[in-house]
Amino acid sequence: MVELSGTTPKCNHSGLNAHCFTLGSIEIICAAGELLVVHIRTDVHLARVDLHDASSGLPGTSGQTPQLFHSQAVTGTTTTALPGNTPLYNTPLTPMTPITPATPASESSGIVPQLQNIVSTVNLGCKLDLKTIALRARNAEYNPKRFAAVIMRIREPRTTALIFSSGKMVCTGAKSEEQSRLAARKYARVVQKLGFPAKFLDFKIQNMVGSCDVKFPIRLEGLVLTHQQFSSYEPELFPGLIYRMIKPRIVLLIFVSGKVVLTGAKVRAEIYEAFENIYPILKGFRKTT
Amino acid sequence: MSRVALKCPNCGSSNVVEDDLYAQSQSVCVDCGSVVSEGFLANDPVGGSEVYYSHSAPQSKRPCSNLIKGLQRVRALCRVLRVNSEIEKLSQTYFEQAYNHKSFINVSLTKKEALAGSCVLISCRMHDWPVTVGTIAYLIDTDSGAVGAVYQETLNTLNICIPTLSVTDVMEAHCQEYKITSEHVPAELAAEAKELTKRALALVELAADSWIVTGRRPVPIMIAATYLSWQSLQPTKLRLKMTLDKFCQMTKVDKNRPAMKRVTEIKEMLCKLGNEIPWEKQEITPNNVIQQVEDILSYRFALMRKALKSYEDSLKADIQQCDAKNKKTMRTKTAELKTSSKTGSSVLETERANNGACDEPNWGKRLLFAPPCVVNPKKRKRAPSNQINVTGDEEISDSEIDSYIRTHQEVREIAMTQKLLCQESDNL
Repeated sequence: MVELSGTTPKCNHSGLNAHCFTLGSIEIICAAGELLVVHIRTDVHLARVDLHDASSGLPGTSGQTPQLFHSQAVTGTTTTALPGNTPLYNTPLTPMTPITPATPASESSGIVPQLQNIVSTVNLGCKLDLKTIALRARNAEYNPKRFAAVIMRIREPRTTALIFSSGKMVCTGAKSEEQSRLAARKYARVVQKLGFPAKFLDFKIQNMVGSCDVKFPIRLEGLVLTHQQFSSYEPELFPGLIYRMIKPRIVLLIFVSGKVVLTGAKVRAEIYEAFENIYPILKGFRKTT
Repeated sequence: MSRVALKCPNCGSSNVVEDDLYAQSQSVCVDCGSVVSEGFLANDPVGGSEVYYSHSAPQSKRPCSNLIKGLQRVRALCRVLRVNSEIEKLSQTYFEQAYNHKSFINVSLTKKEALAGSCVLISCRMHDWPVTVGTIAYLIDTDSGAVGAVYQETLNTLNICIPTLSVTDVMEAHCQEYKITSEHVPAELAAEAKELTKRALALVELAADSWIVTGRRPVPIMIAATYLSWQSLQPTKLRLKMTLDKFCQMTKVDKNRPAMKRVTEIKEMLCKLGNEIPWEKQEITPNNVIQQVEDILSYRFALMRKALKSYEDSLKADIQQCDAKNKKTMRTKTAELKTSSKTGSSVLETERANNGACDEPNWGKRLLFAPPCVVNPKKRKRAPSNQINVTGDEEISDSEIDSYIRTHQEVREIAMTQKLLCQESDNL
């Protein structure tokens, strides 16, 4: 790609003999394994800009057109189409930032791990009286002799929260980051309605658990031999192989049935990355007997 | 004469002064006149120098008595298992290292004993000496889960990487436990240990190839293999009639419930191979497979290849049949569409149903040998997965939150009930 050092009026655009220049939405379509390194700079001309001299007439700029590096600013939407038609990332996409090349098409798994559990914490920012909460809330249980926290549950999203007297709360059971955040907010709202000055501080996802099925049996004994430094397989103690991946720092439980559980992630991308790393290794132990 | 801070041992008076009258200075009690101390040592405090012996002389810290006991336990375990001196020395080294680590120094004595067992287990594994966690747990009289936990913790603490134990390694040691020689049981039930081990080992290897071993506990598989090999060495009526429980009782081996399931699985696998034997006219079932075990084991590689090939061929034939059936139903369906007014979706549904019958959703049933947990999956009640798409920042309705809060009436009633319950428990 030719790197344009400055904006040029359209009449000087090389190779463009157009009479008009229309901007449309940016659409990036990625087929499995066809991601390329792309650096794109888009010049957005605001209304009433003299297209022949783009640098002047832009309010508040020092002769430079705004260069887009994020999709949110573009009026269109950016979409990535991935196998299975599920959106891969819920975080806003950044098409302008370089996308590291993925594994070649022949090795991409085509399987997307499903998130099963998200654990998050939030600070309600005030001391709580657990006895009052347990008395006045319908969905709470509190056994101080067993555990020093109120266990509260809500129906939608189906989650459980541990609420401590310090005001800190742990929320478990959600199937996505957004659901976890919504659930935590609902618990905070319940505590607020019970008369405590609850806030919603430092919400953080602490752990994410995902699972998937590769649909072929795996020779765990072989895997533990070749990846000894990462694997631990003790059939006397646990039927699965425990694989501790270094990058990303994820623990995988691999079972003979081909089912894989991934845990220890702080962001969704780590789960996907870990699975894409392990899939070629598992394929190597696929035995057709 | 200067006063010295001493007590006279004779009269107990503290009126002791230093007397420089003679060549040597002396401490003399004024009241009774006795000499308390003399010589240049007079100025030293009575009772010895102020410097303690342990400070002046370098003394190595005495090892903790529990550490000594633990090391003795390690040595005892090594002797019971009859391991060589290298393994014994290594286990003692590991024990000392782990014992002094912060994660083990303050734990209970039971855990320290489990630590001794774990160190022996680790050293045995490092030297490829076949010992199972179950054996160690039995020797130190602890639950194998507890030993397993300490074992994993020790591996993490000492940062050791050890090879996994294979069932075939432990097989020989396991077979030696069976009291099956002619001196323990009648002649018609006796078996020679070497032969028994060899055949059981071959059965275990076959089981491993057909996914019966991976992910499972080794002991039930070993018991099942030993039982089947004993039956097949002399497949008399007496032996075939004897159940697994009776066999364990006779050979003085602990009963094991999962072993019976393994026996069934191994027999099924042997039937699949037995049916490929070219000279066998009758169908091999679990009832008559034991008599064929010798032949199956002798030609197991060839039979395995044959079984896989014939299964592949039968699968291809099935697929072709399904395709033909589908084409036929498609033709009839399109004909029906033209005549009747069926909706497109219902046609698709029937198509899907037909396809479903041909390619099983359970991929395990499409393979000749697959892990039993895939072929017979446990039916789990899955709660309907709520794939709700939320942003996390939605408005939360007051009515929903109010549904989680008790009314004043409820709170009063509950408070009253709790009070009554407290009063009742106090009365009791």
